[in-house]
Formats: sequence, C-alpha cells, structure tokens
Amino acid sequence: MQNSFNIAVTVNDTRYERAVEPRILLSDFLRHDLGLTGTHVGCEHGVCGACTILFDGQPARSCLVFAVQAHGHKITTVEGLGTIDNLHPIQEAFHEAHGLQCGFCTPGILTTIVPFLEQNPDPSEEEIREAISGNLCRCTGYQHIVDAVKLAAEKMRK
Amino acid sequence: MKIEGEYTFDGPREVVWVLVRDPEVLATCLPGTQSLRLVGENEYEGEINVRIGPIAGVFSGRLIVSDEAPPESCTLTGEGKGKPGFVKGSGNVQLFEQADNKTLMKYDGEVQIGGRLASVGQRMIDTVSKSMIGQGLGVLNEAIKARVLARAEAKEVEYTPPSETEFAAAVAKDMAGGLLSSKLFLWLALAVIAVILVVIVWLSVG
Amino acid sequence: MTKKFIGKRVKRNEDPRLLTGQALFVDDVEIPGMLHAAFLRSDYAHARLLSIDVSAARQRPGVVAVFTAEDMGEDWQPGPPLVSPPPTAKDVIFHSRRQVPLVKDKVRHAGEAIAVVIAESRYIAEDAVEDILVELEPLEAVSDLEKSLQEGSTLVHDDLESNLAAHLIQKKGDYEAAREKADLVITRRIVTDRGAAAAMENRGIVAHWDEKSQHLTVWDTTQAPIPIRNGLAARLGLSANQVRVIAPFVGGGFGPKMMMFYPEEMLIPWASMKLSRPIKWIEDRRENFYATTQERGQNHDVELALSRDGHILGLKDVFLHDTGAYDPYGLTIPLNTQCHLMGPYDIENFTSEVSVVFTNKTLVTPVRGAGRPQGIFIIERLLDIAAKELGIDQVEIRKRNLIPPEAFPYEHKIIDQAFAPLVLDSGNYWPVMKKALDMIGYDQFVKEEQPRLRAEGKYVGIGITPFIESTGVGPYEGARVTVEASGKVFVATGVGTQGQGHFTTFAQIVAEQLGVAVSDVRIVTGDTTEFHWGTGTFASRGAVVAGNAIHASASIVRQKVLKLACKILETPEEELELECGLVRVADTPHKSISLGELALLANPLRGAVEPGTEPGLEATAYFGPQYGATAFGTHAMIIEIDPETMMIAIKRYITVEDCGTVLNPLILEGQIHGGVSMGIGNAYYEKLHFDENGQLLNASFADYLIPSATEMPRIEVGHVETTSPLNELGTKGVGEAGTIPVPALFSQAIENALYNRELEILETPLSPNRLFELLVNEEKSR
Repeated sequence: MQNSFNIAVTVNDTRYERAVEPRILLSDFLRHDLGLTGTHVGCEHGVCGACTILFDGQPARSCLVFAVQAHGHKITTVEGLGTIDNLHPIQEAFHEAHGLQCGFCTPGILTTIVPFLEQNPDPSEEEIREAISGNLCRCTGYQHIVDAVKLAAEKMRK
Repeated sequence: MKIEGEYTFDGPREVVWVLVRDPEVLATCLPGTQSLRLVGENEYEGEINVRIGPIAGVFSGRLIVSDEAPPESCTLTGEGKGKPGFVKGSGNVQLFEQADNKTLMKYDGEVQIGGRLASVGQRMIDTVSKSMIGQGLGVLNEAIKARVLARAEAKEVEYTPPSETEFAAAVAKDMAGGLLSSKLFLWLALAVIAVILVVIVWLSVG
Repeated sequence: MTKKFIGKRVKRNEDPRLLTGQALFVDDVEIPGMLHAAFLRSDYAHARLLSIDVSAARQRPGVVAVFTAEDMGEDWQPGPPLVSPPPTAKDVIFHSRRQVPLVKDKVRHAGEAIAVVIAESRYIAEDAVEDILVELEPLEAVSDLEKSLQEGSTLVHDDLESNLAAHLIQKKGDYEAAREKADLVITRRIVTDRGAAAAMENRGIVAHWDEKSQHLTVWDTTQAPIPIRNGLAARLGLSANQVRVIAPFVGGGFGPKMMMFYPEEMLIPWASMKLSRPIKWIEDRRENFYATTQERGQNHDVELALSRDGHILGLKDVFLHDTGAYDPYGLTIPLNTQCHLMGPYDIENFTSEVSVVFTNKTLVTPVRGAGRPQGIFIIERLLDIAAKELGIDQVEIRKRNLIPPEAFPYEHKIIDQAFAPLVLDSGNYWPVMKKALDMIGYDQFVKEEQPRLRAEGKYVGIGITPFIESTGVGPYEGARVTVEASGKVFVATGVGTQGQGHFTTFAQIVAEQLGVAVSDVRIVTGDTTEFHWGTGTFASRGAVVAGNAIHASASIVRQKVLKLACKILETPEEELELECGLVRVADTPHKSISLGELALLANPLRGAVEPGTEPGLEATAYFGPQYGATAFGTHAMIIEIDPETMMIAIKRYITVEDCGTVLNPLILEGQIHGGVSMGIGNAYYEKLHFDENGQLLNASFADYLIPSATEMPRIEVGHVETTSPLNELGTKGVGEAGTIPVPALFSQAIENALYNRELEILETPLSPNRLFELLVNEEKSR
C-alpha cells in the first residue's frame, strides 16, 4: 500500500508531477496535494456531485477516480474557470441570479454546466434540471440555479 | 430480515443430512471459507474470507445446531462478525423425502444485521439473498449429486467446487438488473454479498 | 423614510469567493505538521463495552496516538447540558443525560465513537481503526417510542427507572370543559418520523494547540462559535482569550451544527493539546448519518373539539418525543411542537402533555423546523379531517379559526423554547392566505379545472396550508461597527454563517445607516477573536437578532459621524446627509467630507480626545428581544399523482410569507426555496429507516433520497409585510419557514387528488412506496 507511482497530470493548464500512493483519490490529490480546495467532497460515494471536475473536458466525480488514473489526462477544477476579478460567464450568472447559498455544492455544479452549455447552448428548463440532477444542493431548492444556467446560456450565446 | 424458501436436492435425505452436517463438505461448497470447525457437540466455529472489491475482511462466526431430529430437521442459531459489520440470526431447516430419491429442503429464519452491511446494503438484501441462497444450495447439490453418483458406481467422489470468482460472478449476474437501474454502486452490493455468504453458512450447514 | 438599501435585490458580497473556489471551508485548512483523526464507531446500537485492545493500531507506522475513554482519565466527561427545562414551567421531570466523548461502559446508539486514531494521514488513521480489537456484548436495543416506555423495557441509561427522559404538561383554558360543549370531537393517532439535515458539507474540526504561544485555534463547522469557545476554554482549563474558534464558510447548517460539543468537537482540541500538534477530523457521509443529530420522531394522540360551524373549542395532545440516546438539548423541540400545535388559530382551551423518550438511536436536536413542522402537521391534519366530517370547505374552516388582526399581540399563555411566554407579536393572517389563494387560482381550479381534469381520469389535487413560525428568539446578539480610514466599514458579529447571505443583508443594514456602498461593508461572522459575545445562528434569528444588533451599532456610529461632521463642516446635524461614502450638506452637496477622512480625524495622533467621548468611529451594541417575533405564511400547491407509480408531479407551488420587513427579496426567496426543498424531502422522499434493533438501514445518499432538481417544482413567492413591533427593523425570521408546512400540505393535496379513495394520512414522511401501501390497506379495509 505504501508504494508510490509517479504521475503527471495537467490541472487547469499547469502540469504537475507527483508521486502518489495508488489508493489516493483524485479528490484528495487535488485538494491536499495540489492545494486546489475549490473541489469539495460531500459524500465520497459518487452521489452528491460536489466533487465534480472536468476529466478531459467531461464531468467526472473526483471521489470515484484514483489520482493514478488521471496520469496523462487533463483536469479542470473550479479554480480553472475564472478568477474573482474575472469571473467566467457561468460564475457571473450564478452571482447575478443568486444561484448559490452556502456555496459548497457550487463548484461541482459549475463544472457540470460548462460542457452542458457547450453541447446545448440554448437549453430548456427541463433540460437544465436534467443536467444538474446529479448534483445535490440542500440550500437553494435549485430554482435560482436553473435561472443562473439560463442566464449563463444567454451570456455565452452573445 | 426474514429469510425463507425451499430447495430440492437430487439425492436421498440421508445423504443430504450427512453432507450438510459435515463441516469439511460445507467448507468446500462455500468458496472463501477458511475453516469450519466442530468445537462442541453441536457447535461450529468458522472464518469466511470475504474478499470482493473493497469489502475485504474475515467474518468470524459461531453456529449452534439444536433441536436436531436426524435426518428431518434442526434449528440453527448463529452470529458472525467482521469488518463490514455483524450478522445474528436463527432459523429452522426441514428435509422432506420426495419421489425419485429427491429431498426437499424448507428453511425459514430471522436475521439481524448491523454496521455497514445494514446501513448501506439493506435495500439490496432481500432480492440478493434469494439469489445467493440459490447459488449456495446449488453448489451443495452438485456435491450431493457427485456423492450419489459415486455411491452408485462405487468409485471415488469427483467434485470440484467453484472458485470464489465464479461464485461471485454468478451472483453479480443475478444482481445486474437491479444494479443498472439504480444509483447504487458496486461496493454497496458487494457489502450485501458478504452478509449473504454468512447467511448461507448457517443455512447450508443445516 | 424610503430605504435605499434595505429591501433591495442586492447581489451577494460573498459570491465571488465561493464561485471561484477561494472561500475557506474547514477541510481547506492546511497547517504544516497537521495530523488526521479517524474514529472507531460501534456497529451495535446497544452493547456493553467489555474490552478494547488498541496495541496493533498504535504499532502501525504513521500512527501517532490512539485514545480510548480510559486514556482520557479525568478529562473524560459528558458534554455540558445545553438547555435546561424552563424554570417557570411547573412539575417538570427532566433527566439530563449527555453524550460522552468516547464510550466508556456502554454503547447507546449505532455509530457512537469508541476510540480515536490520530495519524499522519487520514488513510493511515482509517487503516489503524481496523486494527483495533473491541469486544462488545450486544444488548437488546430500544428503537420504538412506545416500547421504550413499556415496563421491563431495556434501559438506555441503567441508572434511570425507565426510558423517560422528560415530562411536561402545558395548559391553557379548560380543555375538558370545552370538550363537553363540543359538537364534534376528532380523536386520532398521528406519527411523525425522523429525517436528516444532510447539509452538503459534513462536520469537521481542525484544532491547533500552539505550545509556545499557549493558544488554541479551532476551525469548526459550528453554528455557534462563541459558546464552543467558552465551553472549550472551561473544559480544557484555559482562559477564554487563549481559545479562538473560527466558523469559516460552512456548507450548510440546518440545525445539527448548532448542537454543541459533539464528542469530536471536544476530543480533537483535547488531543491537539495532548500531542502539541494540529489535528484535522472531517466527518464522512456515513458518519454524518450516524453521528450528526437528527429529528422529528414523535407519536401524538390528539383530540380536537369543535362546534358544528367549525370553530375550534379546544385541542388536547398527548405525545411522545424521541430524543435518541441522550438529551443535551433539553425540551427545545417538544416546546416548539407545543407552541405550534395551535398554529395560527384562535384556540382558547389547550392541553399538551409530552413525554420525552430515550431510545438507542442517534441524538435528536433541532433540524430546520425544530419541532414546528410536527405541530403544524397535527393541527392541519385535524382541520382537514374536521372539514370533511362537518362538510365545510378546507379554506373556510381555517378562515373561521384564524387569529383576527385586532387580537395581536396574542397571548397563548404557555411557555416557548426561549422560556418566554408564547406571545404572537403581530400579524394579519387572512390577507396572506387570501393572496396565496389568489395566486394559485383556488376557486377557478376547484370549480373548473379540477372537475375537467378528473373527467379526463387525472388525479389532481390542491392543498393550502397556513402556518406560523416562532423566530428571532433571545437571549441576544451583538456587533461592532467600525468606519475605517479607507472609508470602508468593518462589521464583526458573533453569529456564524452557513449560506444565509449575512455578508450581504448585514451590509445592507449598515449601508442604510452610513450611506456607503453595500460592497464597501466588510462583515466578519463567527470568529471569536473579532467579536466574542453572542450565542449562534439558530431559530431563524440571524437577521432578526444579529441584524438588529448591527442596526443598533450602525445607528450609534451614524450619530458619531454626524456629530464630528457637524463640527468640521460647521453645519447643523439636521442639514447633513450620509451619501456615497460622504457626509455632505444636503442642499450644498459639494460641501462634504468623506467617511474615511472623518475616521482619521476621530482618531488623532495629536491633540486630545474630549472627556466623555471615544476615539474612532466605532460602536458596539447588543440586541435582545423580549420574546421571539412570530412570522406567518401560507403554502399552496397543485399536484398530479401517477396512480401506477405514486410519483407526484407538482404542477404549481405558491408560498406567501409575512416575515415583517424584507431586507433582501432575492436572498429571502432563496431561503424560502431551500426551505421548501427540504420540506418536500421531509414530506415525500426522506425518512431515516431504523429497524427495531436501532440499526439505520439507509445511511447513504443512494438510499436516503434528498430532492434533486428534477423533483423540485418552480416556486412562486409572494410577500406581505406586517412589521414586528419587537425590533427597530421590524423583521421576523424566515430561515425555517419554507420547511414547516410542507408535510401537512402534501397530505392535504394527496387526499384531495385521490378523491375517490377513503384515504386518511396520519403520518409523515410519506414516500411513493408508503403511499402505495396506504392505498392497499385502504382497499382491504373497504
């Protein structure tokens, strides 16, 4: 169990080389080895979606992936979307539509929405609800999240 | 949780009775069983190694056979403990003679589970247990058939129990329908397999 | 005066950090040399601890320490009692039995902690937990409330005669006399069961004892950082100023994070001091299902006495309340239930008798709603039954019983959770209910749409449920408001924040007084170094109690600003206005001085600060309400039931809230949406299934289903404002409002939809499965 493997992972366009135990989860690797604590862990069994990251552009649950499996792959976390001074249009829309409260599930929702809007730039409310149905939020009742996604779609179409 | 059901063995009642009361036979019928020892007049102790995916650990169990009426019926009481939780239960097993040298086993019991087995496995247990018990008794039946055949032809018993992997695969196949349609993940299901393996020890020992 | 900031849809100050992954949550704290903790927890709900062998765990490489109850020596003590029974209540029985840091003699609920491993990583700590050999002798467990009180039942606490934890009777008027006069008495058994708060962030603690500076810093996902600081100091033999507790961004609270001194909360700081190392413990989701408090298990035997015309003459309720294995929170929840049993109705005769019961299950402390949903469920169910039996319309029977506007303040003459007499401070109920009826188009639906849809074979139903919520209780909160030399305003308050938008609503209150931009008000909540008086964020009180304390402080600062500016601008105070970060002369706007400059002048390096004045533009003030402000609201819903699957599609969902002055409608709507979402979970998806042996059978999000976006309807929110006379801002709380009436609303709408069945729902939570079972039973009994 103590054996380490050398892995090289590109996270938010930065290449990291680290030695990791094979059992280290990608979520723990991102959070604790790389200090990218924007990815949150809510259930460790792949249901809540808080730990969603983009794995080669596709949303994936980082609590269900081992860090070694990310070797040679491209990961995007919430830190890779926008900055406080330069929010990504989706982040901007969440701010404007009050699409977050405690903000714990938010990073996973944002990363789920990025590829969703790429594939579906003008989604209906039903499609949005379906798209985020794998992300649990206990604060918002989802309504303002849905509004935020609609607003984000508008912003990104412009 | 209640467990009940029946199974028809392809052998006469005396053979079934002798086999199910023989710990060595049982140990070979149940892949993963490390040992099953007679520790008292009607008391067994055993360890079963459950090593499927992340649910890996040894269940230690103790089983008492009482109200024994050979070759017709007995009562089983037992408990098992392991890293994934614990199991406690008791049940009755009855053997009925059937035509064509067959034997009908009827069993019913009440099982309590706790720990991870209960908290994350509960939903699957009812359906999975039926499959698991069927598989376990099927294996036992193969042993009985081999014994009957050997007796008839007066030669050595030739019987190879299935491997742990084969056993697990058969159960996983039965469960697949349920798994695919739910959000449940494999490790939850595997936790359940662990408990059922223990349940089978008791039931099949009878 | 028209308001410039209060009541506006201001975007939240805290969002950019949360949206970019830059907000600090407890699990984000990294300290060099930090160790990690994992707990060994009992698989049994009730068992005697015979022996425990941690030697193998201690030998595992990377393990720094393993502690059992034995190892704690004199430091092993049960948690402090949080809430004692109300001193003014008569003849109260109360047996205080508090949770223990680690099991010493006996396990009392599944998941109770037996030992803690401290190791170089969480992975190693969890490995070492598996190395511990523990011998437990299983005991019979009590799970069911009634069985628990039966003679000869296994005792959760061996030193007590029974599993009765507390007993209290509250009375108003004379119920028995009222019953004599009644035309109809409805008698029912109504049962409510447990759910989880299930905040998305589990609990977590990082404790850092610095031996050299003799300071303990604790990051805790608590809703009550100041009481935690006080308690830790007392227990660890430190002075309060040696302990700093920080509740940083917290990923949802919903009540259980208000529970004080979870075993881990005491152990991790204790272990950090023992080892002189920082230690982190983060709860995992399965632990959260076992070790974080839960709520709502009650059995009610109720009677409602009515006159023929539907007027309520009296209500009697004898109920059992499940407190789990310990009762640190005293009578808070059952008192809330008692105070909501009469709902928004004018009921003169009332008797309520509660027996609090110990069971071998996880501890019970308030979860969003905190006893209120149970009270509302009972009275609303009884009124639905009464309406059917008397042939009166559901809305009409409620309208006839609502407390009239002229009756406020309305005295209920019983005692509430804050030990104050229950007084409903203000309200005007019917217009709120009427607004909900209008918004959902009640008459049109009932008269036209529903008959048409029924003719098409559809099972559509409507429900309308009014409710009250006691909010904003004492004792007090405080705040310090400081104008800084930059011209920005700094505010510190003791309450913690778990997503309610305090960084914005509190800033709006300050901006209103000081005329600065909301984004120029920086708020710190939940850091005991910044402000060290207060209680916590609970009982829908943040905006009311802390909000008014902030308002009071900001008002004092405003006076100081005006006084100083009056001198400098040589203009009377009445002619000055605070706008855009400046103090200016109202009719000569170019004659002005910025707040920053004034702050500098108020804190001079030379000269003298006049006797009787204070330096700086700063003020600290407190607010403690005499009693809580009571909000009112009405939810209405139209549903369609799929008779094959029992899945419910919510076609319309309306809420109308009267929570007094609205500080920020955007945030208010968010609070209501979230509350309704939890309410819908409580009503139709979420139930913690304990078996008869106290084993929890659905401890994961795969089995415990909280609503996702596809279950949630779009919620239409209406407001009515009846300001509270109890505080200057006129606010009432709203944090729990969304959750409270939903189970009652669901039952009403389901019965209405299944109009051709004799269904009477007397339990919550329901689920599609359970509804199916109820219908099967109904068919059998026909």
